[in-house]
Amino acid sequence: MTTDVVRAERVLTKPQVHTRPQPAAKPRPRARTRSRLDGAAGHLVMVLLSIVCLFPVYWMVVTSLRPANATFETSIWPTSTSLDNYVYALQAIPILRMLGNTLLIASVVTVIQLFTGLLAAYAFARWRFRGDKLVYSLVALTWLVPFQVVMIPNYLLIAKMGLLDSVTALILPHFASALAILLLAQSMRSFPREVIEAARMDGARSWRILWEVMMPNLRGTIASLAILIFISTWNEYFWPLLLSRTPANSVVQIGIQMFMTTEGTAWGPLMAASTMASLPILFIYVVLQRQVIQSFMKSGIR
Amino acid sequence: MTDASLPIRGVMSPRKRSSSRQMGSRQTGSRHMGSRHIGARRLGARQITPWLYLAPAIVALVIWIYWPLIDALRLSFFQWNMLPRSPQLFVAWDNYAKIFSLPKFWLALRNTGIYIAGLLPIAVLIPLAIAIYTHDLPARARNIYRAIIFVPMIIAPVVAAAVWRWLLDPSYGMVNLVIKWFGFDPVKFLADPKVAIWTIIGITGWKLIGFSTLILSAANANINPSLVEAARMDGASRWEIIRDIRLPLLSSSVLFLVMMTILLGAQWSFTYINVLTGGGPLGATTNIYYLLWDFGFSSMSVGWSSASAVILFLGFGAIAFFLFRLIDRYSFHDN
Repeated sequence: MTTDVVRAERVLTKPQVHTRPQPAAKPRPRARTRSRLDGAAGHLVMVLLSIVCLFPVYWMVVTSLRPANATFETSIWPTSTSLDNYVYALQAIPILRMLGNTLLIASVVTVIQLFTGLLAAYAFARWRFRGDKLVYSLVALTWLVPFQVVMIPNYLLIAKMGLLDSVTALILPHFASALAILLLAQSMRSFPREVIEAARMDGARSWRILWEVMMPNLRGTIASLAILIFISTWNEYFWPLLLSRTPANSVVQIGIQMFMTTEGTAWGPLMAASTMASLPILFIYVVLQRQVIQSFMKSGIR
Repeated sequence: MTDASLPIRGVMSPRKRSSSRQMGSRQTGSRHMGSRHIGARRLGARQITPWLYLAPAIVALVIWIYWPLIDALRLSFFQWNMLPRSPQLFVAWDNYAKIFSLPKFWLALRNTGIYIAGLLPIAVLIPLAIAIYTHDLPARARNIYRAIIFVPMIIAPVVAAAVWRWLLDPSYGMVNLVIKWFGFDPVKFLADPKVAIWTIIGITGWKLIGFSTLILSAANANINPSLVEAARMDGASRWEIIRDIRLPLLSSSVLFLVMMTILLGAQWSFTYINVLTGGGPLGATTNIYYLLWDFGFSSMSVGWSSASAVILFLGFGAIAFFLFRLIDRYSFHDN
């Protein structure tokens, strides 16, 4: 494919030498052919990339919908569909309970992180105080601490609190996140100070200024942060892996893993469980596609 | 541009913050004295308020990150198997000495390097090429592609691991069926020590490639078209425009992605290693993060795990510091 394009280009660019003296006459049509050819090649690249990105997800859904005796079929479109695998997955592990736990954890973490983030960001954006820069960099620095480095002390702390194997323990370490604080502080700083001053003149206390003056203007940032926090908490795997003992107190990501054992893998139910675990996220994505992409791009990875 | 580097920028230079101070000083006329004066009065009146707002976040970060960091440092000098009733034995630098003499550690370190080196082309170079190559696609088509190639990014790592395990299965997996159809021998993607690490890198890259492409496409679209137009008028070739205009203006996004890949690349692969290979075969896919987990929760050796955590943290801290400096110095901005 690439060689074709290169060759085509060489042919197309050749006349350039001749036409240079009278540039007004010919560039137009040439540019159009070239861009159409480039466009086709560009589409080809993007279609290939799209297939690479989407096919595994498609295959997951298709496999999960095949009848139990047709798991190994290779037809791209399922010849017959059944929900056998889903029924099996629902019976094998308490997957609904796990989905419920995951939903609960992701929602609570989202709300808490936004709350602590708003408060802290407000402090940074609104006041100068002794040590503000130091505290700000200390908050930012936590963003770079890999979880694996602090996992043992965290685990010991949870054990000391007697919370091993509980849903609470899966929420606690996510009480505050540097990402939320930094992003919110950044968008609060661009908030016009005059408005805050005016509200202050009217006798509004700092608490009311935060919730009634700043909050409504931060809706965009808050929404994109909420999406980001929810999705990444939903997808979290490492911390539940450390803590979970019983399936009923765990999250769906751990549930998926239960179908992959050393003795062998129940492919159909595994794909069914994976699909069930992905559906809420995919649903959010389909509904809020633009916002989801934007929020991920705004805040980097992690 | 670089929407993507917002938090990083925040880390590097909290530069917008002095606005109120400047306002104050302008009003009082005498710059230096004025600003200090106002600052002092503010401090007196509201010293406590900002700290009240900060308290919940600070308490959480101290309990779950800073205190654990210190505790990890302390534990790295002890020998302990995590059982509450067994004693913690002080061994000074023994854990560090042991780790540095373990071939396993050096293998994991080497593998971490391979992970990063292998991810860089998938997470940065290919997306860069794609972003530049496809920049003039019509908006509607671009939005559709955008929506599709972003999907891997939001899929849970465990789900990705499960799906790829299925696709790469030696006997029934789709990938091997295609390979067999072409007349080659099936590849043991996860069981062959030589291949396994590249499989994990490939899956990690699959999760990232769409995201990186979007970041770079956005940056590329943000380049002022008049710059490109002006260069074209001057007779610059396509390649010259890419080399002299697009690449320099994309450099901050590229550096950002490089930094993310170096700092987090090996970390992203943890789930795939744990679900798909368990660090094997023969330690071939164990990287430094997986080694920490292995020391801590398989061998129950708190000391070793903590000591390698400290080494890891210092090492990556140094790299991060260096990269931040690099980005600060070498990124171009077109405004």
